[in-house]
Amino acid sequence: MSENVALSRRKMIKGAGALALGAAAGLAPISKATAARGKAPRWAFIVDLRRCTGCRTCTVACKAEMNTPLGAFRAAVYDQVVGTFPKTEKHFLPRLCNHCEGNKEDGIPPCIKDCPEYPKDRRQFITPEGKKIRYRGGATYKRPDGMVLYENELCTGCGKCIKACPYGARSWDKLLISGKDSTKNGIAKCTFCQHRVDNGVVPSCVNMCPQKARIFGDLNDPNSQVSKLVKEFGLLENRDKNTLLPKENTVPMLFYIDPRGALMKMANARKKFEKEEAWVDQIT
Amino acid sequence: MGNTEKAQRMAVARQRSNIYGLLASVYRQEVTADLLHQVKDPQFLGVLSDLGLQLASDFFQKPEEELLSDLAVEYARLFLGPGKHVSPHESVQHQKGDGQGGLLWGESTAEVKRFIESTGLSYNSEYTGLPDHISVELEFMQQLTLREEQAWREEDEDGALDCLRTERKFIEEHLIRWVPFFCDKVTREAELPFYREMAALTKNFIEFEREEVEGYAGDLK
Amino acid sequence: MKRDISRRDLIKLGAASAAVMATGKVGGSSALAGTVDLAAGGKDFSPQTGAERKMIPSACWSCVTRDSMIGFVEDGRLVKLEGNPNSIRGRGKICSKGASGINQLYDPDRILYPMKRVGKRGEGKWKRISWDEALTDLAARLKKLRDEGHPEKFMFHYGRMKASSSKIIKSVFLANYGTKTIGNHTSICEGAKWTAQELTWGKHYDNWDFDNTKFVLNFGSGVLEAHTNHIPTCQRLGDAMVDRGVKMYTFDVRLSNTAAKSTEWLPVKPGTDGAIALAMCNVIMQAGLYDKEFFKFIRATKDPNASTAAKVAALKSHLAQYTPEWAEKVSTVPAAKIKSLALEFAKTKPACVISYRGAVAHYHGADTERAVQMLAAITGNIDNPGGRCRAVGAKWKYPKGPKKKPKAKALKIAQGFPGTIAYPTHGANHQVLKMIKDGRAGRPEVYMWYCYTPVYANGECQENIDILKDESLIPFTVCVNAYYDESAALADMILPNPSYLEWWDYEDMVSPTQVPEYYIRQPLVKPLGESRDFKDVVCDLANRMGFPLGFNSAEEFVKMSCEKTPAVKAAGGFEYMKKHGVYHDPKAKPKYYGYKKAVKPDALKKDGVIFDKATGVYWNWHKSKAKSEAEAKEKGYTKTKNAYKGYIGQEIGGKVYAGFKPDKVNKSGYFEVYSELLEMKKFPALPSYVPIPEHKKMSANDLILTTYKVPVHIHSRSANCKWLTEIYHDNPAMINTRTAKRLGIKDGDKIKVKSEAGEITTTANVTEAVVPGVVAISHHVGHWEYGRYASGKKSPLAAGDDSDFKLKWWTKKGVHPNWIIPNKPDPISGQQRWMDTVVKVRKA
Ligand code: SF4
Ligand code: SF4
Ligand code: SF4
Repeated sequence: MSENVALSRRKMIKGAGALALGAAAGLAPISKATAARGKAPRWAFIVDLRRCTGCRTCTVACKAEMNTPLGAFRAAVYDQVVGTFPKTEKHFLPRLCNHCEGNKEDGIPPCIKDCPEYPKDRRQFITPEGKKIRYRGGATYKRPDGMVLYENELCTGCGKCIKACPYGARSWDKLLISGKDSTKNGIAKCTFCQHRVDNGVVPSCVNMCPQKARIFGDLNDPNSQVSKLVKEFGLLENRDKNTLLPKENTVPMLFYIDPRGALMKMANARKKFEKEEAWVDQIT
Repeated sequence: MGNTEKAQRMAVARQRSNIYGLLASVYRQEVTADLLHQVKDPQFLGVLSDLGLQLASDFFQKPEEELLSDLAVEYARLFLGPGKHVSPHESVQHQKGDGQGGLLWGESTAEVKRFIESTGLSYNSEYTGLPDHISVELEFMQQLTLREEQAWREEDEDGALDCLRTERKFIEEHLIRWVPFFCDKVTREAELPFYREMAALTKNFIEFEREEVEGYAGDLK
Repeated sequence: MKRDISRRDLIKLGAASAAVMATGKVGGSSALAGTVDLAAGGKDFSPQTGAERKMIPSACWSCVTRDSMIGFVEDGRLVKLEGNPNSIRGRGKICSKGASGINQLYDPDRILYPMKRVGKRGEGKWKRISWDEALTDLAARLKKLRDEGHPEKFMFHYGRMKASSSKIIKSVFLANYGTKTIGNHTSICEGAKWTAQELTWGKHYDNWDFDNTKFVLNFGSGVLEAHTNHIPTCQRLGDAMVDRGVKMYTFDVRLSNTAAKSTEWLPVKPGTDGAIALAMCNVIMQAGLYDKEFFKFIRATKDPNASTAAKVAALKSHLAQYTPEWAEKVSTVPAAKIKSLALEFAKTKPACVISYRGAVAHYHGADTERAVQMLAAITGNIDNPGGRCRAVGAKWKYPKGPKKKPKAKALKIAQGFPGTIAYPTHGANHQVLKMIKDGRAGRPEVYMWYCYTPVYANGECQENIDILKDESLIPFTVCVNAYYDESAALADMILPNPSYLEWWDYEDMVSPTQVPEYYIRQPLVKPLGESRDFKDVVCDLANRMGFPLGFNSAEEFVKMSCEKTPAVKAAGGFEYMKKHGVYHDPKAKPKYYGYKKAVKPDALKKDGVIFDKATGVYWNWHKSKAKSEAEAKEKGYTKTKNAYKGYIGQEIGGKVYAGFKPDKVNKSGYFEVYSELLEMKKFPALPSYVPIPEHKKMSANDLILTTYKVPVHIHSRSANCKWLTEIYHDNPAMINTRTAKRLGIKDGDKIKVKSEAGEITTTANVTEAVVPGVVAISHHVGHWEYGRYASGKKSPLAAGDDSDFKLKWWTKKGVHPNWIIPNKPDPISGQQRWMDTVVKVRKA
């Protein structure tokens, strides 16, 4: 258990090959700066709401990548019409797991905190230049690079993490049997496409988004696009305005560039970003 | 193993192969005139009725051409579509809980193909169907059991047991996991007795087969 | 069965089976070859080992954009589709529909064998037949018609058929067979736009140069969600708006995603975009903001030699009637807004005006498009960087088949009823079934459709069903399709086509960069079952009828074309294309201003070239239908049939320019704002506003029905894709809050929507996102066939077949609006008038 364990049923990275064709899909190889310091990358995900057109390529890309069954969405887009005619507006909000940092005190996101199968084993994260960082594993756990992951083989299917996530980012995978209790289902959530990222390509939804509205990268690399955008839009300073449910104090690593105040307008117009049965991406 | 037992196993392998062959041809395509002739043979019918299988009387009264056409329509309705039908492919029917069910050319299709090819067989280039069609899986077993018979005949006990091991693996990993459910659906949906009864026979035979290969478990260690 | 099988039974059954099998020919041919040799392998069956994964470049076909893409194939199974990063068009992107192609390939409801109906047409009883049986039957029928001298009684009707598919099937097979009774689907798409562009600048297709533009004005296009060149254009527009701060203003009856992303959504009354465009032209002309240089190439008067001043004066006086205040009354868009936008548009250079079905799928929709073209022309935003450009696509060379072709004949049923449409250059195919019923122009004996669903895609679904079902009207119907849709259900024979992920093509769709891109589509997996690419089938049919085409498969055709096309050949031909999927010349310069090129004097001296004084056109009469030079001269360029085919150049001020080369009609080489061709047919020569007759007679509580697309579906052929249908499966009717209140309708109410053509019951979606007085219903859904995910029919037989299907959590399937939309043509172009229908809406 010393490697950066892949969780996907399909261990093969389906997108990595694109590199061979001269792809644009490549993630900058984990930056030299980060490597020199021997730190793990600090993955961040930015959704640029100026660009998102609500086209749902991300939703479908994710379904295809993960073969997510009907009824469950690891990535979804919310639509909301606000305002009165003729000054009507429509906003789109792509959603995925925030890969929360967890609060200042313990640095563990609530979903992991409530998992009875965490912490279990001890693992190592190997940084790009070979430095080993130790961390605790379990049925769901956070890697030193910030990815919040799960491992069906260790999962008892109790569903506590689903309940604990204030956002509803986790759901049942009704076609997956939990690794430890064959009477229960397993769970599904966004993995930041760890199987791809570990092989140097960006998550599938990022690669597929026609509008480049999804940006993924390493905050420890000052030259990464995420670092630049975080700086340009003050995303870290304004976390309260640029992430969802700041009051929950989960400290999301998913940021929204939102000059039109869509988050606020959508919330005012009844869109809840809180837990629901399961996310459903539906156009009405 | 005594010689009588070996001889007996050789005979059993032969008969199993025959039955697999027959069933494969039942599902492979619409009933041909030749097959119909042979099925109507009193000897065959006798065996069927000993097993409790009944082909209705109109099966024998209808003019052959009409019967063939009825059977073709039934075959299309049951196994081909368009529209609703019982797909005769493992990948569509199997239920493994891995989220891969219900697909044409699913992951189990690839598994079946790899399995079959790993035994040295290959798919005919003229064969246009999918690798996990029920008729292919049955034909594969026909070939395996035939090879087993040959091994017994050549007194190659290791080879024969190798075959048996492969048979058991294929039955356990594939046939038993979907063929009985598939047959139940066919039995439920069939309108003509022919496919209803053949499906019942197939189901019983596969279940028999599982026990049969189980019985040899000791030898197969 | 009574009991389980015992050992004894086994022996008996085995022996009996052996007897049955003994004749050796009872069971068909076996699937497996070779002998079992366990020593060779067989030790390890693990699926984890040796999974082979391939990346195959190909092209999407879900929508007509046809983006280049890559398929990832594991063990012969397609697992994922992505954009091809080497494509200059798509730049590595595809859309949600493209990504769901896997659902098309592995749709559990696909048709995998040729089928023949038994029982009555439409009864749903089928028999599988072999390909040989199917083609023997079909070839006999077709050959008989051909031998009797009536090849035109074979009607071939396609929905999408592009590039090599079109060449193989239409240009080679059908041409050699001898029928020109060929239908398409353009009139239910954007035919009015094409005709209008042919009447103004010659070619039908335009490209919007978002890479270089500084301002965008949008009349009724959902460019960010559903365009004919969707992925290449939408991402460039996104870049323009976010990276360069380009503004876009969108006129639409509905707050589409495009409108939502625009700088401003300008709600407009259906069918009045033309009024706004005309008023804008008026403002610009009055303000003197027109582009004098471009006026040289504009024809704005009867006299082709008029001076710029005369042309300006003519336009000014024609446009004077269209004041912004008048346009406000017609369209509801405030006059001040029209004025300010007109001025901003004219002052920002370059600027791009775009338009689509929202503007043109109306009565006189072609005139609206002409007004939009005029707006671009007077501001000089034509064929320039950042403006509206004449499209550029790959020019393939291909094998043309036998030298000697029969003279093809046609039943005149694809252009609408005689005398009702001025220039149906792209047909009026939504009227084909009506014309067959009418019978005066003849009826086909064999009606075959391909990648098309006449029942669902046109208006008046019930009438379509009734006509198609009637064996006395159409004796034999053949459907070429991979899916059992509403139309396939009415076929006599179904030929199973594969999905586009299993066939060959060369491709040529328009490039947004004005540099042509050559690309191909290649099979990602072998065709499933016995499905067979129809392009291969026509080769077979031709052989059976005794006129071999000179190639035997689409693959061979594509390969030959790669070798014949110089640019592709130089790049490495077929092998290069198979490996890379795309090719463009890295040194090629983008094509702009083609019209400004001077024609070489030699070209004017060629045999047959004459000068037409009335228009100033140099043309070669040999290429027209004229029998002699004298006849050509006497009739003149405009009135000689097919004279446009001989067009050489346009004389302007003593010089001869390449000009705006005509296509399909005898337009001059000017950019024709003034259309003599329309004048000849008694239509206004200058773009004008003609109100929709039905809208003039509306009573207070009538509403106008309009249709639209959502980002996750293509028009009629994607509801079988579970990933898309999960996101969008229901289409409640959008009604503005105020209108709903007036009608006593609340959100979620069941409502009845009634038109002259029929009535549907649907649900109300009361919203602020649509203009008052309108009811907007999307197409895509409301299927009654097309498999389990589309029609929601959970049959007893399908139950449990598909593990995902058990998780289908939605039950709604929407209501198709086409049941109540009459099939009526725009009198200029033949365009189906999708957005004109007047309806009464009430609570059900
Ligand atoms: S793919 Fe990109 S543009 Fe489309 S909905 Fe997702 S984030 Fe938005
Ligand atoms: S969004 Fe939910 S599931 Fe994801 S890390 Fe945060 S708490 Fe956990
Ligand atoms: S826009 Fe979408 S559906 Fe159309 S060709 Fe591109 S990927 Fe395919």
